Amino acid sequence: MAKVHTVVLVRHGESEYNRDNIFTGWCDPDLTAKGQEEAKDAGKILQEYGFQFDVAYTSVLKRAIKTLYLIQEELDCLWIPVTKTWRLNERHYGKLQGKNKDETIKKYGREQVQLWRRSFKVCPPPLDEKDEHWSGNDKRYSGLSFVPTGESIEEASKRSLPFWHKHIVPALKSGKRPLICGHANTLGSLIKNLDPSSKIDLSDLSLPNALPLVLELDESFLPSQCQFLQHPSGGKLHKKRNCNS
Amino acid sequence: MEACHKLVLLRHGESNYTRDNLFCGFGNDADLSDLGEKEAAVAGQRMLEAGLSFDIAFTSVLKRAVKTLYLVQEELDCHWLPVVKTWRLNERHYGALQGLSKTETAKKYGEQQVKIWRRSYDVRPPPLDKDDSRFCGNIAPYRDFDPTIIPVCESLKDTVERMLPAWHDVIAPDVKAGKRVLIVAHGNSLRGLMKYLKQLSDQEIIRLEIPQGLPLVIELDEDLHPVRDYYLASEEDVKVAKTKVGVKDNVN
Repeated sequence: MAKVHTVVLVRHGESEYNRDNIFTGWCDPDLTAKGQEEAKDAGKILQEYGFQFDVAYTSVLKRAIKTLYLIQEELDCLWIPVTKTWRLNERHYGKLQGKNKDETIKKYGREQVQLWRRSFKVCPPPLDEKDEHWSGNDKRYSGLSFVPTGESIEEASKRSLPFWHKHIVPALKSGKRPLICGHANTLGSLIKNLDPSSKIDLSDLSLPNALPLVLELDESFLPSQCQFLQHPSGGKLHKKRNCNS
Repeated sequence: MEACHKLVLLRHGESNYTRDNLFCGFGNDADLSDLGEKEAAVAGQRMLEAGLSFDIAFTSVLKRAVKTLYLVQEELDCHWLPVVKTWRLNERHYGALQGLSKTETAKKYGEQQVKIWRRSYDVRPPPLDKDDSRFCGNIAPYRDFDPTIIPVCESLKDTVERMLPAWHDVIAPDVKAGKRVLIVAHGNSLRGLMKYLKQLSDQEIIRLEIPQGLPLVIELDEDLHPVRDYYLASEEDVKVAKTKVGVKDNVN
Protein backbone atom coordinates (compact mmCIF):
# COMPACT_ATOMS: atom_id res chain seq x y z
CA MET A 1 0.00 0.00 0.00
CA ALA A 2 1.34 3.42 -0.94
CA LYS A 3 2.45 5.47 2.03
CA VAL A 4 0.05 8.27 2.80
CA HIS A 5 0.76 11.50 4.54
CA THR A 6 -1.96 13.70 5.94
CA VAL A 7 -1.94 17.46 6.29
CA VAL A 8 -4.85 19.47 7.62
CA LEU A 9 -5.36 22.97 6.28
CA VAL A 10 -7.80 25.48 7.71
CA ARG A 11 -8.66 28.96 6.58
CA HIS A 12 -9.05 31.42 9.46
CA GLY A 13 -12.47 32.20 10.92
CA GLU A 14 -14.46 35.28 9.88
CA SER A 15 -12.46 38.47 10.28
CA GLU A 16 -13.78 42.01 10.78
CA TYR A 17 -12.91 42.74 7.14
CA ASN A 18 -14.68 39.58 5.92
CA ARG A 19 -17.78 40.73 7.82
CA ASP A 20 -17.52 44.25 6.38
CA ASN A 21 -16.79 43.03 2.83
CA ILE A 22 -13.36 44.68 2.68
CA PHE A 23 -10.31 43.53 0.73
CA THR A 24 -7.89 42.30 3.39
CA GLY A 25 -4.60 40.96 2.03
CA TRP A 26 -1.80 41.88 4.43
CA CYS A 27 -4.06 44.07 6.59
CA ASP A 28 -4.36 42.62 10.08
CA PRO A 29 -7.99 42.75 11.25
CA ASP A 30 -9.10 40.68 14.22
CA LEU A 31 -11.49 37.75 14.25
CA THR A 32 -15.13 38.66 14.86
CA ALA A 33 -16.99 36.90 17.68
CA LYS A 34 -18.48 34.67 14.96
CA GLY A 35 -14.96 33.99 13.64
CA GLN A 36 -13.85 32.90 17.10
CA GLU A 37 -16.79 30.50 17.36
CA GLU A 38 -15.99 29.16 13.89
CA ALA A 39 -12.41 28.54 14.99
CA LYS A 40 -13.57 26.69 18.09
CA ASP A 41 -15.96 24.65 15.95
CA ALA A 42 -13.09 23.73 13.65
CA GLY A 43 -11.22 22.47 16.71
CA LYS A 44 -14.27 20.51 17.87
CA ILE A 45 -14.71 18.93 14.43
CA LEU A 46 -11.06 17.89 14.36
CA GLN A 47 -11.42 16.41 17.81
CA GLU A 48 -14.54 14.49 16.79
CA TYR A 49 -12.57 12.94 13.96
CA GLY A 50 -9.70 12.07 16.33
CA PHE A 51 -7.07 14.30 14.73
CA GLN A 52 -3.89 15.00 16.62
CA PHE A 53 -1.04 17.26 15.60
CA ASP A 54 2.64 17.53 16.42
CA VAL A 55 3.44 20.81 14.75
CA ALA A 56 1.59 23.81 13.32
CA TYR A 57 2.27 26.49 10.77
CA THR A 58 0.53 29.78 10.24
CA SER A 59 1.00 33.29 8.86
CA VAL A 60 1.99 36.44 10.76
CA LEU A 61 -1.58 37.74 10.55
CA LYS A 62 -3.64 37.55 13.74
CA ARG A 63 -6.82 36.17 12.16
CA ALA A 64 -4.92 32.99 11.31
CA ILE A 65 -2.78 32.91 14.47
CA LYS A 66 -5.84 33.29 16.70
CA THR A 67 -7.83 30.70 14.75
CA LEU A 68 -4.94 28.28 15.25
CA TYR A 69 -4.75 29.05 18.98
CA LEU A 70 -8.47 28.41 19.43
CA ILE A 71 -8.20 25.12 17.53
CA GLN A 72 -5.23 24.12 19.68
CA GLU A 73 -7.21 24.96 22.79
CA GLU A 74 -10.04 22.63 21.71
CA LEU A 75 -7.56 19.86 20.92
CA ASP A 76 -5.61 20.50 24.14
CA CYS A 77 -2.35 20.84 22.26
CA LEU A 78 -1.21 24.34 23.12
CA TRP A 79 2.26 22.87 23.66
CA ILE A 80 2.94 22.08 20.00
CA PRO A 81 5.59 24.19 18.25
CA VAL A 82 4.05 26.84 16.02
CA THR A 83 6.00 28.41 13.17
CA LYS A 84 4.71 31.73 11.90
CA THR A 85 5.78 32.92 8.48
CA TRP A 86 4.93 35.79 6.16
CA ARG A 87 5.13 33.18 3.38
CA LEU A 88 1.77 31.84 4.50
CA ASN A 89 0.21 35.33 4.57
CA GLU A 90 -2.79 36.01 2.42
CA ARG A 91 -2.10 37.33 -1.06
CA HIS A 92 -1.16 41.02 -0.92
CA TYR A 93 -4.00 43.03 -2.44
CA GLY A 94 -2.05 46.20 -3.09
CA LYS A 95 -4.08 49.42 -3.23
CA LEU A 96 -7.32 47.48 -2.84
CA GLN A 97 -6.43 46.60 0.74
CA GLY A 98 -8.79 48.25 3.20
CA LYS A 99 -11.28 49.12 0.42
CA ASN A 100 -14.88 47.96 0.38
CA LYS A 101 -15.42 45.35 -2.32
CA ASP A 102 -18.76 46.70 -3.59
CA GLU A 103 -17.44 50.25 -3.76
CA THR A 104 -14.39 48.99 -5.63
CA ILE A 105 -16.65 47.28 -8.15
CA LYS A 106 -18.65 50.51 -8.56
CA LYS A 107 -15.46 52.47 -9.09
CA TYR A 108 -13.59 50.14 -11.48
CA GLY A 109 -16.32 47.91 -12.91
CA ARG A 110 -17.07 44.26 -12.20
CA GLU A 111 -14.91 42.94 -14.99
CA GLN A 112 -11.76 44.77 -13.86
CA VAL A 113 -12.23 43.73 -10.25
CA GLN A 114 -12.85 40.10 -11.31
CA LEU A 115 -9.61 40.28 -13.29
CA TRP A 116 -7.70 41.49 -10.24
CA ARG A 117 -9.30 38.90 -8.00
CA ARG A 118 -9.24 35.79 -10.12
CA SER A 119 -6.75 36.15 -12.92
CA PHE A 120 -3.57 34.19 -12.23
CA LYS A 121 -1.02 36.72 -13.42
CA VAL A 122 -2.72 40.06 -12.93
CA CYS A 123 -1.52 42.26 -10.06
CA PRO A 124 -3.84 44.58 -8.21
CA PRO A 125 -2.95 48.29 -8.41
CA PRO A 126 0.23 48.70 -6.35
CA LEU A 127 0.38 50.23 -2.90
CA ASP A 128 2.90 53.01 -2.39
CA GLU A 129 4.99 53.83 0.65
CA LYS A 130 2.81 56.75 1.67
CA ASP A 131 -0.32 54.61 1.94
CA GLU A 132 -1.52 53.90 5.51
CA HIS A 133 -1.56 50.16 4.74
CA TRP A 134 2.08 50.09 3.58
CA SER A 135 3.78 47.12 5.32
CA GLY A 136 7.33 48.40 4.94
CA ASN A 137 7.34 50.00 8.40
CA ASP A 138 5.78 47.02 10.11
CA LYS A 139 8.30 45.38 12.44
CA ARG A 140 7.15 41.89 11.60
CA TYR A 141 8.49 42.32 8.05
CA SER A 142 11.83 43.84 9.06
CA GLY A 143 13.63 40.68 7.88
CA LEU A 144 12.26 40.94 4.34
CA SER A 145 14.54 42.37 1.68
CA PHE A 146 11.49 43.32 -0.34
CA VAL A 147 8.01 44.10 0.92
CA PRO A 148 5.33 43.53 -1.74
CA THR A 149 3.27 46.43 -3.03
CA GLY A 150 0.72 43.97 -4.38
CA GLU A 151 0.74 40.38 -5.64
CA SER A 152 -0.84 38.40 -8.40
CA ILE A 153 -2.08 34.95 -7.40
CA GLU A 154 0.97 33.56 -9.18
CA GLU A 155 3.37 35.70 -7.16
CA ALA A 156 1.67 34.80 -3.87
CA SER A 157 1.82 31.13 -4.66
CA LYS A 158 5.48 31.39 -5.68
CA ARG A 159 6.48 32.66 -2.25
CA SER A 160 4.42 30.12 -0.27
CA LEU A 161 5.58 27.03 -2.13
CA PRO A 162 9.23 27.19 -0.93
CA PHE A 163 7.95 27.12 2.64
CA TRP A 164 6.06 23.93 1.93
CA HIS A 165 9.16 22.22 0.57
CA LYS A 166 11.59 23.57 3.16
CA HIS A 167 9.50 23.01 6.29
CA ILE A 168 6.36 20.98 5.81
CA VAL A 169 7.68 18.16 3.65
CA PRO A 170 10.61 17.51 6.05
CA ALA A 171 8.15 17.50 8.95
CA LEU A 172 6.04 14.91 7.14
CA LYS A 173 9.13 12.88 6.32
CA SER A 174 10.03 12.76 10.01
CA GLY A 175 6.57 11.45 10.84
CA LYS A 176 5.10 14.67 12.19
CA ARG A 177 1.41 15.49 11.75
CA PRO A 178 1.12 19.12 10.64
CA LEU A 179 -1.74 21.57 10.92
CA ILE A 180 -1.62 24.64 8.70
CA CYS A 181 -3.82 27.61 9.46
CA GLY A 182 -3.80 30.18 6.71
CA HIS A 183 -5.73 32.17 4.16
CA ALA A 184 -8.05 31.56 1.24
CA ASN A 185 -5.88 32.45 -1.73
CA THR A 186 -2.55 31.14 -0.52
CA LEU A 187 -3.90 27.83 0.80
CA GLY A 188 -5.93 27.32 -2.34
CA SER A 189 -3.04 28.10 -4.67
CA LEU A 190 -0.70 25.96 -2.56
CA ILE A 191 -2.92 22.94 -3.17
CA LYS A 192 -3.20 23.74 -6.86
CA ASN A 193 0.59 24.04 -7.11
CA LEU A 194 1.04 20.64 -5.52
CA ASP A 195 -1.49 19.10 -7.85
CA PRO A 196 -0.12 19.43 -11.39
CA SER A 197 -2.54 16.90 -12.83
CA SER A 198 -5.46 18.80 -11.29
CA LYS A 199 -6.99 15.79 -9.61
CA ILE A 200 -8.50 18.07 -7.06
CA ASP A 201 -11.37 20.35 -7.96
CA LEU A 202 -11.04 23.61 -6.11
CA SER A 203 -12.50 25.81 -8.83
CA ASP A 204 -13.39 28.41 -6.28
CA LEU A 205 -10.14 29.43 -4.56
CA SER A 206 -12.09 30.96 -1.70
CA LEU A 207 -12.00 28.31 0.96
CA PRO A 208 -14.83 28.65 3.50
CA ASN A 209 -13.87 30.21 6.83
CA ALA A 210 -12.60 27.69 9.37
CA LEU A 211 -13.65 24.51 7.61
CA PRO A 212 -10.85 21.96 8.03
CA LEU A 213 -9.56 20.51 4.81
CA VAL A 214 -7.83 17.15 5.05
CA LEU A 215 -5.25 16.72 2.34
CA GLU A 216 -3.80 13.27 1.75
CA LEU A 217 -0.51 12.96 -0.06
CA ASP A 218 1.13 10.00 -1.72
CA GLU A 219 4.70 8.91 -1.09
CA SER A 220 5.94 11.63 -3.45
CA PHE A 221 4.04 14.24 -1.40
CA LEU A 222 1.61 14.83 -4.23
CA PRO A 223 -2.06 15.27 -3.34
CA SER A 224 -4.10 12.13 -3.81
CA GLN A 225 -7.29 13.11 -2.05
CA CYS A 226 -8.82 15.97 -0.17
CA GLN A 227 -11.94 16.34 1.92
CA PHE A 228 -13.58 19.10 3.87
CA LEU A 229 -14.73 17.99 7.30
CA GLN A 230 -18.28 19.04 7.94
CA HIS A 231 -19.85 19.54 11.32
CA PRO A 232 -21.67 16.42 12.44
CA SER A 233 -25.41 16.99 12.26
CA GLY A 234 -27.60 15.59 14.99
CA GLY A 235 -25.29 12.73 15.84
CA LYS A 236 -25.72 11.12 12.44
CA LEU A 237 -22.97 10.17 10.01
CA HIS A 238 -20.56 13.00 9.39
CA LYS A 239 -20.97 14.43 5.93
CA LYS A 240 -17.79 15.04 4.06
CA ARG A 241 -17.70 17.12 0.94
CA ASN A 242 -15.28 15.28 -1.24
CA CYS A 243 -13.45 17.57 -3.63
CA ASN A 244 -11.91 14.90 -5.86
CA SER A 245 -12.94 15.47 -9.47
CA MET B 1 28.70 48.68 33.53
CA GLU B 2 26.04 50.19 31.36
CA ALA B 3 22.75 48.47 30.65
CA CYS B 4 22.27 47.69 26.98
CA HIS B 5 19.77 44.84 27.01
CA LYS B 6 16.34 44.55 28.58
CA LEU B 7 15.01 41.13 29.41
CA VAL B 8 11.46 40.72 30.71
CA LEU B 9 10.38 37.78 32.83
CA LEU B 10 6.81 36.96 33.71
CA ARG B 11 5.51 34.24 35.97
CA HIS B 12 2.15 32.94 34.68
CA GLY B 13 -1.10 33.96 36.31
CA GLU B 14 -3.03 31.92 38.88
CA SER B 15 -3.81 28.38 37.74
CA ASN B 16 -6.74 26.21 38.80
CA TYR B 17 -4.35 24.26 40.99
CA THR B 18 -2.98 27.31 42.81
CA ARG B 19 -6.51 28.54 43.31
CA ASP B 20 -7.39 25.20 44.91
CA ASN B 21 -4.16 25.10 46.94
CA LEU B 22 -2.72 22.00 45.24
CA PHE B 23 0.88 21.25 44.26
CA CYS B 24 1.01 21.64 40.52
CA GLY B 25 4.48 21.43 38.99
CA PHE B 26 5.94 19.90 35.83
CA GLY B 27 3.51 17.06 35.33
CA ASN B 28 0.22 18.87 35.80
CA ASP B 29 -0.94 20.86 32.83
CA ALA B 30 -3.34 22.98 34.83
CA ASP B 31 -5.30 25.70 33.08
CA LEU B 32 -5.36 29.34 34.12
CA SER B 33 -8.16 30.26 36.50
CA ASP B 34 -10.38 33.24 35.63
CA LEU B 35 -8.21 35.36 37.90
CA GLY B 36 -5.10 34.02 36.19
CA GLU B 37 -6.41 35.15 32.81
CA LYS B 38 -7.10 38.62 34.21
CA GLU B 39 -3.61 38.74 35.74
CA ALA B 40 -2.11 37.86 32.36
CA ALA B 41 -4.06 40.63 30.63
CA VAL B 42 -3.03 43.15 33.30
CA ALA B 43 0.60 42.08 32.90
CA GLY B 44 0.29 42.80 29.19
CA GLN B 45 -1.24 46.20 29.91
CA ARG B 46 1.62 47.03 32.28
CA MET B 47 4.12 46.19 29.56
CA LEU B 48 2.19 48.31 27.06
CA GLU B 49 2.16 51.28 29.45
CA ALA B 50 5.89 50.86 29.98
CA GLY B 51 6.37 51.12 26.22
CA LEU B 52 7.88 47.64 25.92
CA SER B 53 7.96 45.69 22.72
CA PHE B 54 9.60 42.39 21.84
CA ASP B 55 11.18 40.48 18.99
CA ILE B 56 10.77 36.98 20.37
CA ALA B 57 9.17 35.15 23.30
CA PHE B 58 10.08 31.96 25.15
CA THR B 59 7.79 29.87 27.27
CA SER B 60 7.32 26.35 28.61
CA VAL B 61 5.13 23.56 27.20
CA LEU B 62 2.60 24.00 30.00
CA LYS B 63 -0.62 25.72 29.01
CA ARG B 64 -0.77 28.08 31.99
CA ALA B 65 2.39 29.73 30.66
CA VAL B 66 1.51 29.42 26.96
CA LYS B 67 -1.90 31.03 27.60
CA THR B 68 -0.43 33.78 29.77
CA LEU B 69 1.92 34.64 26.90
CA TYR B 70 -0.97 34.62 24.40
CA LEU B 71 -2.98 37.02 26.58
CA VAL B 72 0.04 39.31 26.93
CA GLN B 73 0.48 39.26 23.15
CA GLU B 74 -3.20 40.20 22.80
CA GLU B 75 -2.61 43.33 24.90
CA LEU B 76 0.59 44.23 23.05
CA ASP B 77 -0.98 43.42 19.66
CA CYS B 78 1.98 41.25 18.74
CA HIS B 79 0.51 37.84 17.97
CA TRP B 80 2.98 37.61 15.10
CA LEU B 81 5.97 37.29 17.51
CA PRO B 82 7.93 34.06 17.07
CA VAL B 83 7.33 31.93 20.16
CA VAL B 84 9.69 29.16 21.23
CA LYS B 85 8.34 26.60 23.67
CA THR B 86 10.68 24.42 25.69
CA TRP B 87 10.10 21.88 28.45
CA ARG B 88 13.27 23.26 30.08
CA LEU B 89 11.24 26.28 31.20
CA ASN B 90 8.61 24.04 32.81
CA GLU B 91 7.84 24.33 36.50
CA ARG B 92 9.78 22.18 38.94
CA HIS B 93 8.70 18.54 39.18
CA TYR B 94 7.17 17.83 42.59
CA GLY B 95 7.29 14.05 42.27
CA ALA B 96 4.71 12.19 44.31
CA LEU B 97 3.44 15.47 45.78
CA GLN B 98 1.87 16.40 42.46
CA GLY B 99 -1.83 17.04 42.78
CA LEU B 100 -1.82 16.86 46.59
CA SER B 101 -2.99 19.73 48.74
CA LYS B 102 -0.76 21.33 51.35
CA THR B 103 -2.95 19.78 54.06
CA GLU B 104 -2.77 16.31 52.55
CA THR B 105 0.98 16.60 52.16
CA ALA B 106 1.47 17.60 55.79
CA LYS B 107 -0.84 14.78 56.88
CA LYS B 108 0.95 12.18 54.76
CA TYR B 109 4.56 13.18 55.34
CA GLY B 110 4.52 15.28 58.49
CA GLU B 111 4.99 19.03 58.91
CA GLN B 112 8.73 18.65 59.64
CA GLN B 113 9.43 16.83 56.36
CA VAL B 114 7.41 19.35 54.39
CA LYS B 115 9.47 22.11 56.02
CA ILE B 116 12.69 20.40 54.85
CA TRP B 117 11.40 20.16 51.28
CA ARG B 118 10.32 23.77 51.46
CA ARG B 119 13.56 25.17 52.85
CA SER B 120 16.23 23.16 51.11
CA TYR B 121 17.90 23.75 47.80
CA ASP B 122 18.90 20.21 46.96
CA VAL B 123 16.53 17.86 48.76
CA ARG B 124 14.18 16.07 46.41
CA PRO B 125 10.53 15.26 47.18
CA PRO B 126 9.52 11.58 46.95
CA PRO B 127 9.83 10.41 43.34
CA LEU B 128 6.96 9.43 41.15
CA ASP B 129 6.86 5.82 40.16
CA LYS B 130 7.05 5.31 36.39
CA ASP B 131 3.89 3.20 36.63
CA ASP B 132 2.09 6.06 38.32
CA SER B 133 -0.64 7.50 36.13
CA ARG B 134 0.85 10.93 36.88
CA PHE B 135 4.18 10.03 35.21
CA CYS B 136 4.38 12.23 32.14
CA GLY B 137 6.49 9.91 29.99
CA ASN B 138 3.34 8.50 28.42
CA ILE B 139 1.80 11.77 27.33
CA ALA B 140 2.57 14.35 24.71
CA PRO B 141 4.85 16.30 24.51
CA TYR B 142 7.14 14.00 26.49
CA ARG B 143 6.21 10.77 24.77
CA ASP B 144 9.11 10.95 22.29
CA PHE B 145 11.69 12.13 24.81
CA ASP B 146 14.69 10.10 25.84
CA PRO B 147 13.11 8.51 28.95
CA THR B 148 16.19 9.24 31.07
CA ILE B 149 15.60 12.99 30.92
CA ILE B 150 11.97 12.96 32.02
CA PRO B 151 12.02 13.85 35.71
CA VAL B 152 10.24 11.78 38.36
CA CYS B 153 10.96 14.47 40.95
CA GLU B 154 13.22 17.50 41.27
CA SER B 155 14.92 19.51 43.94
CA LEU B 156 15.17 23.21 43.18
CA LYS B 157 18.79 22.52 42.25
CA ASP B 158 17.64 19.95 39.66
CA THR B 159 15.22 22.46 38.17
CA VAL B 160 17.94 25.10 37.87
CA GLU B 161 20.32 22.64 36.22
CA ARG B 162 17.86 21.49 33.58
CA MET B 163 16.62 25.03 32.93
CA LEU B 164 20.03 26.60 32.29
CA PRO B 165 20.75 24.97 28.90
CA ALA B 166 17.67 26.83 27.58
CA TRP B 167 19.27 30.09 28.72
CA HIS B 168 22.80 29.36 27.48
CA ASP B 169 21.99 27.67 24.18
CA VAL B 170 18.83 29.38 23.05
CA ILE B 171 17.82 32.54 24.91
CA ALA B 172 21.13 34.25 25.79
CA PRO B 173 22.39 34.25 22.18
CA ASP B 174 19.22 36.08 21.14
CA VAL B 175 19.59 38.63 23.93
CA LYS B 176 23.25 39.17 23.01
CA ALA B 177 22.27 39.63 19.37
CA GLY B 178 20.09 42.54 20.43
CA LYS B 179 16.70 40.84 20.33
CA ARG B 180 14.18 42.05 22.87
CA VAL B 181 13.20 38.92 24.74
CA LEU B 182 10.17 38.05 26.84
CA ILE B 183 10.18 34.89 28.94
CA VAL B 184 6.87 33.65 30.33
CA ALA B 185 7.42 30.73 32.67
CA HIS B 186 7.04 29.42 36.21
CA GLY B 187 8.08 30.29 39.74
CA ASN B 188 10.98 27.88 40.02
CA SER B 189 12.26 27.96 36.45
CA LEU B 190 12.41 31.75 36.68
CA ARG B 191 14.09 31.56 40.08
CA GLY B 192 16.66 29.32 38.45
CA LEU B 193 17.38 31.98 35.88
CA MET B 194 17.56 34.70 38.54
CA LYS B 195 19.96 32.58 40.61
CA TYR B 196 22.29 32.26 37.65
CA LEU B 197 22.05 35.86 36.45
CA LYS B 198 22.43 37.46 39.88
CA GLN B 199 24.82 34.81 41.22
CA LEU B 200 22.59 34.16 44.21
CA SER B 201 23.60 31.63 46.84
CA ASP B 202 21.56 28.48 47.56
CA GLN B 203 20.16 30.19 50.65
CA GLU B 204 19.38 33.44 48.87
CA ILE B 205 17.43 31.74 46.10
CA ILE B 206 15.22 29.89 48.57
CA ARG B 207 14.13 33.24 50.00
CA LEU B 208 13.51 34.83 46.57
CA GLU B 209 9.83 35.03 45.73
CA ILE B 210 8.64 35.77 42.22
CA PRO B 211 5.03 36.93 42.25
CA GLN B 212 2.53 35.77 39.66
CA GLY B 213 1.53 38.11 36.90
CA LEU B 214 3.97 40.98 37.54
CA PRO B 215 6.46 41.67 34.73
CA LEU B 216 10.04 41.71 35.98
CA VAL B 217 12.45 43.77 33.89
CA ILE B 218 16.13 42.88 34.10
CA GLU B 219 18.55 45.31 32.51
CA LEU B 220 21.76 43.59 31.44
CA ASP B 221 25.15 44.85 30.31
CA GLU B 222 26.86 43.68 27.15
CA ASP B 223 28.14 40.56 28.93
CA LEU B 224 24.61 39.80 30.15
CA HIS B 225 25.38 40.71 33.76
CA PRO B 226 22.42 42.31 35.53
CA VAL B 227 22.72 46.05 36.10
CA ARG B 228 19.32 46.58 37.69
CA ASP B 229 15.96 44.86 37.95
CA TYR B 230 12.50 46.06 38.82
CA TYR B 231 8.88 45.05 38.63
CA LEU B 232 6.47 46.97 36.42
CA ALA B 233 4.27 47.55 39.44
CA SER B 234 4.10 49.70 42.55
CA GLU B 235 5.83 48.54 45.75
CA GLU B 236 2.39 47.95 47.22
CA ASP B 237 1.34 45.73 44.28
CA VAL B 238 4.53 43.70 44.61
CA LYS B 239 4.05 43.33 48.37
CA VAL B 240 0.46 42.11 47.93
CA ALA B 241 1.40 39.73 45.12
CA LYS B 242 4.24 38.24 47.16
CA THR B 243 1.85 37.30 49.94
CA LYS B 244 0.19 34.89 47.50
CA VAL B 245 3.47 33.27 46.45
CA GLY B 246 5.38 30.62 48.37
CA VAL B 247 2.37 29.68 50.44
CA LYS B 248 0.34 27.65 47.98
CA ASP B 249 2.28 26.26 45.08
CA ASN B 250 6.00 26.40 45.87
CA VAL B 251 7.72 23.77 47.94
CA ASN B 252 10.33 26.17 49.20
